[in-house]
Amino acid sequence: MIELQDFSVSFKSGTALRQASLAIRPGDRTGIVGESGSGKTMLAMSLMGMAPAAADLSGKLVLDGRDMTGADDRGWEALRARKVAMIFQEPMTALNPLRRVGDTVMDPLRLHLGLSKAEARARALALFEEVGIPSPVERLRQFPHELSGGQRQRVVIALALACDPELLIADEPTTALDANVALRIIDLLVRLAEERQMALLFISHDLAAVARATRDIVVMYGGDIVERGPTAEVLTTPRHPYTQGLLGARPNPVAEPRGADGKRPRLPTIPGSVPTLQDLPSGCRFSGRCPVELPVCAGTRPGSTLISATRLANCHALKQEVSA
Amino acid sequence: MGYFLFRRTLGFVLTLFAVSVVVFAVMNVLPGDPALTILGLDATEDALAALREQLGLNDPLLTRYVHWVWNALHGDFGISHSFGIPVAGLIGERLPMTISLAVSGMIFTVILALVMGIGAAANHRKPGDWGMMFISQLGIAIPAFWLSMLLVLLFAVKLRWLPPGGFAGWDDPVAAMRSLILPTVALALVQSSVLARVTRSSALEVMRQDFVRTARATGFSRRRILWRHVLPNALVPIVTIVGMQFAALVTGTIVIENVFYLPGLGRLIFQSISNRDLPTVQALVMLFAAIVVTANFIVDLLYVVIDPRLKARA
Repeated sequence: MIELQDFSVSFKSGTALRQASLAIRPGDRTGIVGESGSGKTMLAMSLMGMAPAAADLSGKLVLDGRDMTGADDRGWEALRARKVAMIFQEPMTALNPLRRVGDTVMDPLRLHLGLSKAEARARALALFEEVGIPSPVERLRQFPHELSGGQRQRVVIALALACDPELLIADEPTTALDANVALRIIDLLVRLAEERQMALLFISHDLAAVARATRDIVVMYGGDIVERGPTAEVLTTPRHPYTQGLLGARPNPVAEPRGADGKRPRLPTIPGSVPTLQDLPSGCRFSGRCPVELPVCAGTRPGSTLISATRLANCHALKQEVSA
Repeated sequence: MGYFLFRRTLGFVLTLFAVSVVVFAVMNVLPGDPALTILGLDATEDALAALREQLGLNDPLLTRYVHWVWNALHGDFGISHSFGIPVAGLIGERLPMTISLAVSGMIFTVILALVMGIGAAANHRKPGDWGMMFISQLGIAIPAFWLSMLLVLLFAVKLRWLPPGGFAGWDDPVAAMRSLILPTVALALVQSSVLARVTRSSALEVMRQDFVRTARATGFSRRRILWRHVLPNALVPIVTIVGMQFAALVTGTIVIENVFYLPGLGRLIFQSISNRDLPTVQALVMLFAAIVVTANFIVDLLYVVIDPRLKARA
């Protein structure tokens, strides 16, 4: 349904997303994890046709049976909301502060579906109920500043669902929310995806949130997809050195009791820092920081290695290990 | 909300009161004897004393101030020294001219500025933006009186499309409108250049905000987003400047009416100052100040209409 084939996003200064291949089918719930600068947001914005104007797109981005790589604004405007919709990190600023939230949700219904005002209002009301907004009739008339953060995020979700998209992209949808509100939003997204047979692309650096929200996971680093597979398997038995480092760097107060000196052990970290766009190595993006680096890594981009029927990783060392 | 209205209205009334005190004080500490001005240098001392008594110049300042305010509140601004008729009548005759000029100037300013400013923001860092910035820089740099003369030379003298000045009266609306076109443009061009820049930068700031991205993600075209989401959110700074500009337009009529020979308040105040016609000048300065204060009062109320968040706080 939605397919990326060797899709790249490059700028004058470097390649932000390199030869990404990904297929998303109806009902899929896929997580994308990675640090800032890993390319996960660039991937999401590309799927909305909202990559920066200065970006140079190559490869294939197939949506609704068409390659959208070279599509213009008008082509994308016809697909947004109806095929792909997106919710963003910051619910406090994602809504026009001068418009009643009901009007904001009715806008796409009237524009894309051509509904009358009364029809759009009834539909908005049903959407508010579906996303669990209490006393929806009164809420329709309220302004964003009159709602709590969790309520606003529900309004943003209702807005994204308005035209029955086939894919919902959620870019860090819970990062700005309180922990218990975040959990309820995640469960809501999962329920909506299942009920509507809608694909969900859940982007986060919060591994616990991704574990709860998704069935499959894609790990990104430096603009590359480095590992993918079923979420539970990847998070319990990571194979790519970067995924292993990322999981090792999580604080876990229960598993790591205080030592004799009363201090918890230092968290393991990945040495070095994420290189900037200009300084990305030309081969494996992780070379230079990788604990199992081979001579080939710095200069050659690793291809995908099949680890099991459902799991892939892009790593030279892993490839040698598997083929040995 | 009620408290907000009360506070703003109180502020409005107090400001007007302060303005009236200042206007009265300044007019009455000016050197020169109004009686001498009216009667001339060869008037007898008796005649002067009689006139001073008649004008109330011998009363204490406070009495004269209360008297002036009380009468003004009843529409009586005294008798003009130079015209010999009630000041209220003089103002009444000329007010429509000045108000028409200021209002048409304001409309022209706002329309031109919004189209230019939003257009420039939509074409940010493209030739359309640069062109607008250049034109508005030019507009800000050109003095209104010099622009007036250029406009008269081109459109009245050379092309003969419009009258060079004077006013045909309201009986013929088309002729009246035609004689207002050049003064309006001369009056408003500077202001619209300033406002276009404010609009542009305010719109650019709004365009960076998250809800604009949300609107893009909902499949709205850039044009629709500009008018539905960006402009309303850019309005608060725009309305602030518009309020200040209305004051500038009203006072700007003083120059423009003199250049174009239009019988309005601007020309009246100019003549009254030359004639040392104290009651008229005093009434006109008070009126101009009141218009400015009222414009700012309306702007304050508009903020709340524009932004529901202020209503919650107000």
